[in-house]
Amino acid sequence: MSVRLKINGEDRVSASDPLSPLVDVLRDEFFLTGAKPVCREGFCGACIVLLDGRPVASCLMPAGLAANHEVCTVEALAPEGDLSPLQRALEQHDVVQCGMCFPGLLVTLTSYFEQAENPNRVDMKAALVGNVCRCTGYERILDAALSLVQPAGAR
Amino acid sequence: MRASLREERHDLSYVAISKIASLRELSVGEREVSIGACVTHAEIARELTSVPDCRALALAAGDAANPAIRQVATIGGNLCAANFAAADLVPALLCLDTEIELHGLGGAEQIPLSRFLEIRTSLAPGRLVRRVIVRRTPRRSVHVRLPLRKAGDYPVAIFSLAVTFDAAGVVTSASAAVGSVEAAARRWHELEAELIGHPLDPAHAAEKAEHHCATLRARDGVEAPGWYRLKVLPNLVRKAANAMREQS
Repeated sequence: MSVRLKINGEDRVSASDPLSPLVDVLRDEFFLTGAKPVCREGFCGACIVLLDGRPVASCLMPAGLAANHEVCTVEALAPEGDLSPLQRALEQHDVVQCGMCFPGLLVTLTSYFEQAENPNRVDMKAALVGNVCRCTGYERILDAALSLVQPAGAR
Repeated sequence: MRASLREERHDLSYVAISKIASLRELSVGEREVSIGACVTHAEIARELTSVPDCRALALAAGDAANPAIRQVATIGGNLCAANFAAADLVPALLCLDTEIELHGLGGAEQIPLSRFLEIRTSLAPGRLVRRVIVRRTPRRSVHVRLPLRKAGDYPVAIFSLAVTFDAAGVVTSASAAVGSVEAAARRWHELEAELIGHPLDPAHAAEKAEHHCATLRARDGVEAPGWYRLKVLPNLVRKAANAMREQS
């Protein structure tokens, strides 16, 4: 039984069991290795992808339930070879560390900026509750992200 | 999906129901709020935030787990996960005069949530939770929880409270529910009886909660022992009473 998926704008057909976790299909079948299977419990956020624009834990999403939905992974947040404004801000502020959690953080923050009417530090922290990072302590990530919308003195 | 990791048995079959439109409907009527079994936590939090008598449910749905989980976790799943003691929606629904509508080949029936919790593991095959019905009353309600981190993990104790007041501010009815303390959420009738007939005083409520903690059989877990869950519970009751005051 095959599963038809739309991943990063492309129609794909997966030969995996429909109950396979989406993160495994993305990584093992389509070599989109940005999403990381870390806790497989929905706690850490390293596997977060966008499903119809909303962040979801792909470790707990059966691939079959993603059929007929738009899946967007970290690989497609910007045109190939380019960076999104958020990615550029994080790089310029030198806040990228080990990289394990970062794809999930980027996906969550990208969705946050698309939906937030008034991006701010408090709401951004609430949005990142499900993204565990053991390196950075978060605050500099928030500084970098807020640089997109606020002058330095207001962060 | 987590069965292998937890060394649990895989279910033999899996039937996806999330594309059934009627299970995804949420409606707010004058007499009742109807929530389809596949409505997500995120949708409940968004739709019920402005419904004052359902505040406990909106708070529970908006604080449970983390944002990515709330996008997909459903109210039906929360109610049917009998092994999940820390489910947030269950105590909130218990204090809100909730009924569960079950569908099967023999037709539909509505049963109180407390009854559903008793029989949920022994229901015959072919029965489906179709919707959750919350009767609307002039009550006020709150939901408080204590995760080990500020947010993002399972709470070690949950307390939900719904009360109605008379014009003088005296409690005329009270529904209290405790979650994550015992193996399954349940009403706390001993505490309810203590609250009725008095103004809702946080210190008084916490004192009575401490007294009646002996009626609860707290569970030990990897995240917290049973005694700790009981130790923090009176403070959650105090917080709930304070939050209720702030609503007024």
